[in-house]
Amino acid sequence: MIPAQHQKLQVMSHAVVGFPTLDENEKAIAGLVEAGVTMIELQVPFSDPVADGHTLVNACYDALKTGGSVKATLELAAKVSKKHPQATFILMSYLNPLYRYGLEKLFEDAAAAGIKAMIIPDMPVEQIEPWLPKLDALGIAPILMVTPNTSEERVAKICASARGFIYVVSRMGVTGKQTQWGEEFEAYVARIRAHTDLPLAIGFGVRAAEDLKALTGTAEIAAFCSKYIEWQREEGSEKAAAKMKQLLVDSELA
Amino acid sequence: MIRSEEGYFGEFGGRYVPEILLPALQELETMFSDLRDDPSFWQEYVGLCQEFSGRPTPLTPLRRLSKELGGAQIWLKREDLNHSGAHKVNNVLGQGLLVQRMGKKRVIAETGAGQHGLATAIMSARLGLQATIYMGADDIERQYSNVFWMRQLGAEVVGVETGARTLKEALDEALRDWAATVETTHYVLGTACGPAPFPELVTYFQSVISQEMKQQALDQIGRLPDAVCACVGGGSNAMGAFSNFLDDTSVQLIGVEAGGRSFLPGEHSIRMLPNTGEDGIAQGYKTLFLQDEDGQLGDTHSIAAGLDYVGVSPILSHLSRTGRVTADSATDTEVIEAFKLLMKTEGIIPALESSHALAGGFKRAKEMSPDQHIVINLSGRGDKDIFNIAHAFPQPEWTQFLQREAKRAQELEEATKGEK
Repeated sequence: MIPAQHQKLQVMSHAVVGFPTLDENEKAIAGLVEAGVTMIELQVPFSDPVADGHTLVNACYDALKTGGSVKATLELAAKVSKKHPQATFILMSYLNPLYRYGLEKLFEDAAAAGIKAMIIPDMPVEQIEPWLPKLDALGIAPILMVTPNTSEERVAKICASARGFIYVVSRMGVTGKQTQWGEEFEAYVARIRAHTDLPLAIGFGVRAAEDLKALTGTAEIAAFCSKYIEWQREEGSEKAAAKMKQLLVDSELA
Repeated sequence: MIRSEEGYFGEFGGRYVPEILLPALQELETMFSDLRDDPSFWQEYVGLCQEFSGRPTPLTPLRRLSKELGGAQIWLKREDLNHSGAHKVNNVLGQGLLVQRMGKKRVIAETGAGQHGLATAIMSARLGLQATIYMGADDIERQYSNVFWMRQLGAEVVGVETGARTLKEALDEALRDWAATVETTHYVLGTACGPAPFPELVTYFQSVISQEMKQQALDQIGRLPDAVCACVGGGSNAMGAFSNFLDDTSVQLIGVEAGGRSFLPGEHSIRMLPNTGEDGIAQGYKTLFLQDEDGQLGDTHSIAAGLDYVGVSPILSHLSRTGRVTADSATDTEVIEAFKLLMKTEGIIPALESSHALAGGFKRAKEMSPDQHIVINLSGRGDKDIFNIAHAFPQPEWTQFLQREAKRAQELEEATKGEK
């Protein structure tokens, strides 16, 4: 379930579909749910993921070799959403694979596969707007991003079209590097809050229990993604799940 | 001059970027739309090209070759005579003027053959800017002499190890850098691709080529040419050569893409011919991309690193779809033949990229009559790519020389170590 505003911090984590393999995705997701993660992004691997840092770029390349695709993502979504009804599955993809699939069909098939929200980092709000009636009818929340350099006027525009939650990119840059939390960051979050009643997800640079503690009380969702994929790559999905469980204990979110 | 409708050319173009890059693109667009209509800005730009890069570049008649081929009179627009040896410097000098107005102190660029990277390093040295150049690791090997000079000029050259390790990945990496540094850094995009306003902005600066070409044709031929031919990688030299002729429908415009080894996927870089590129949205814009059914961008090949790119200018996608630009391709073998022919008949050493335009242009010229005229845009020179071109013309004496030279370099390095 997507939390309501001011509910306790929830961790959102990640799967790159096909990384390390399609079979292992299912086990890894079961491990995350068992560890207490209730929101999971299913990333369609892409050849040119420009908003991602090296961890996710390399996972994408590997996933493409093992059969990761839009179709594989929808098949995985159908399985895991049925198996884990308590978890919310979010489709994350760059635009081109979805565009090639056909956006209308994609939205319909994603809804049928149990997808509740969608993050498309290179699809600006202007491109999402015409699809809002369709997405609302299907019950899919378009998750829009705001960044530290987004103007006040544009934050308002984004918040008006956003559904589900707002993805607050914590800092400049791409995924996979540490963020400094502090007064400046708090002011940035407050600036976004002024425009919306939706819960806020903080992403980019959430890499340890200290980060989750820092975000408790500030946001409703924390995206713990690149670091988890690093664990998966280095130690396998089973150990990565155990680490996730420990992380939630250490950050007092279990 | 061609103008976009809110960043679109027909159905192509647009701005599909992560939110973080939007403010910089909007700033650039606002600045560009103010300056493009200011004649004094164009004068400032042309003056800079004159004093720094030797413009106008000549329009050279190929008298011997035209006679030998027996068709149209062939003329070369000599972009190879620019400072740095290619047309890339035009766009870079123009963007340098924008960087000065923005007050930014750092620039980044992607580069394939290294020509755009080299031009950016030259501009940065001249203006006292810090430059970081992203280049595919495979391209670094293919074009090491350009890398050598970029570093000597003070630029940082970063090898990109992901994917196919060519231009596409270098562009991705430049966008990632920009996402982190956009408030202090300008991205000097090197071709007429990417998110709006880059396709239009790069075309605007490169249009100096066809502005001169048109006047020179009137002066030297006495009328407009019957055809203009250019090679197409991203499309900046082609858009430069075509843009002032778009309304002159008597002038046929021919864009020659890299036919590589064959039409099989991964063996060429043809995007505009049937059964090659398809509509896609990636790297910030909509155009014809080589891609698979799942929308994954494909692998490319060309003998010329500068044409080895998966997308193409959205303006050219549009103009080829409407029929204003005729798409053609030349294989690696045809390119080498054209290269030799120009060199031995006219004493001009072309870049392998530009040799695609020669191959396509010579073919076309043979089908035309001697009272017709074709202008081929010679986008760059080949003499400085000696390592790369030596690959295309293997000779034992060159290999033996390299072995001796490697030994001398090794000895020199060891002697220097000893002194420390």
